[in-house]
Amino acid sequence: MEILSTYLNLLPVSLAQGAVYAFVALGVMIPFRVLSLPDLTSEGTFPLGGAVLATLLAAGFNPVAGLLVAIGAGILAGGATALIHLLLKIPSLLAGIIVLTMLFSINIRIMGKPNTAIFNYETIFTELLNADGGAPLSQFALLMAIILGVCGLLFWFLHTEIGVALRSVGANQMMSRAQGLPTKWYIVGGLGLAGALSAFGGAIMAQFQSYADVTMGAGVLIIGLASTILGEALVGTKTLVRQIAAPVVGALVYFQVVAVALALGMEPSDLRLLTGIFVLCTLAAPLIAKRVARMR
Amino acid sequence: MDESTYPAIRVEDIRRTFHPGTVQEKKALRGVSFDLRPGEFAVVIGSNGAGKSTLLNALAGEIPVDSGRIVANGTEIQNWPVHRRARLMSRVFQDPMMGTAAALTIEENLSIAARRGQRRSLRFGIRKSEREAFRAKLEMLGLGLENRLSDRVDLLSGGQRQSLTLVMATLKQPQLLLLDEHTAALDPRAAALVMRATTEVVHENATTTLMVTHNMSHAIEFGNRLLMIHEGKVILDASAEEKSKLTAGSLVDRFHDVVSDRMVLS
Repeated sequence: MEILSTYLNLLPVSLAQGAVYAFVALGVMIPFRVLSLPDLTSEGTFPLGGAVLATLLAAGFNPVAGLLVAIGAGILAGGATALIHLLLKIPSLLAGIIVLTMLFSINIRIMGKPNTAIFNYETIFTELLNADGGAPLSQFALLMAIILGVCGLLFWFLHTEIGVALRSVGANQMMSRAQGLPTKWYIVGGLGLAGALSAFGGAIMAQFQSYADVTMGAGVLIIGLASTILGEALVGTKTLVRQIAAPVVGALVYFQVVAVALALGMEPSDLRLLTGIFVLCTLAAPLIAKRVARMR
Repeated sequence: MDESTYPAIRVEDIRRTFHPGTVQEKKALRGVSFDLRPGEFAVVIGSNGAGKSTLLNALAGEIPVDSGRIVANGTEIQNWPVHRRARLMSRVFQDPMMGTAAALTIEENLSIAARRGQRRSLRFGIRKSEREAFRAKLEMLGLGLENRLSDRVDLLSGGQRQSLTLVMATLKQPQLLLLDEHTAALDPRAAALVMRATTEVVHENATTTLMVTHNMSHAIEFGNRLLMIHEGKVILDASAEEKSKLTAGSLVDRFHDVVSDRMVLS
């Protein structure tokens, strides 16, 4: 019973947390699923978004301006990974690691220090909810409204001529070239879009926790990947709606699982290990299933 | 030169060597030249490693040429990237999985093909009026695909996917249609079906076509021009009249004649 009440106490915060991470989960899903191009840049674009937003708030700008500039910075960072991958023929994973490593220094340069507190500034939460930033459940409601808007935009975009072409490039580059699509530019745009989503997520995160920290991106990729895989298992991938909904649903469920684990008395520092094991299992599952089937 | 007298495509002495200066050096194209008149349906045959696929890839732009010219509409295109050449030409690959995007629906694939070589905008990817046109094109195949527009392509068989690729390649009339052994990976029934669809779409619009094939009987039966390639060169260029007299046996004889003559000469 005590476990249940601990979990119920955690529920509002874990819902809000899941909603915060839904954006970066979308930013991880795009390269892995839409572009079929594994990319790690989100570990750097997430804190980049946070750093840009916090710096702008501290400089007196409003949160909307901060979010927009964060999105722009994310596009540039994602595009940089794509250009390194395409022009220098470096594998996308390595290109992402190079960019996220460089972003560590850049993020400190942006803030002028490793972290920036924004307790005393207006955020979307203080402006749209109330002066203390709102209760976790109202934060959750606000975030869900933003997520619906973002998902709606994404759904619309992926059905436009350019969006269908982007998905085509992700599914089959040779065919797409033969159909007249400059595939390289689409990949730059696709990773730019992913960077925008991850940086937006980081900027939301900074406002949610009232500070930005250069290390806030560590582990974010695996959280995003775990959310995507979990969500796909729950809602499927048959249609584009489901593919877009999967990372969001997955992020929400993932943080419920985390809350239950914490309620059971698990050390928060062990969570990364468990998340890693979870992703490992889901990635290995098809192979193991095949081996088991062959043994029979 | 008046535009109507231009060849649909002119290939002038194109050459390509793989791994030059190494032990694996391979002269895949050693000066290939030919013109295709508008509406010509040329069949390209040759043994394995003769350079057929390299020729096709060089035309499509997937493999750059070391020297020589490829001219369409009086413009040299040998330095154009693949996606730019797509304005002029379309292609059906040997691998049925290659010509379509598996994760997209049938109508999404067709909408990509309907805009081949055009700028894409943020307008909706498929317009209602297009769907009717897609249905009409798919009906001609007789595979029932017209009722499955919103099915994902990975639900289709190899033959169905290759038929769809063929429709995609001709949805927007190309100046040159490239067929790369496009029935070789299919079972005989599906191959016959795709071949029948091919002749229909090619004849319907008198599409200038270059078809690479391994299949002797296809080479005899289809097309009105025959190019035989051997060791990176065109060793036989038969016009419609000459081609009509060829049989599979005489073709093999001609091949051996030319090859042994050349060996004697060299």
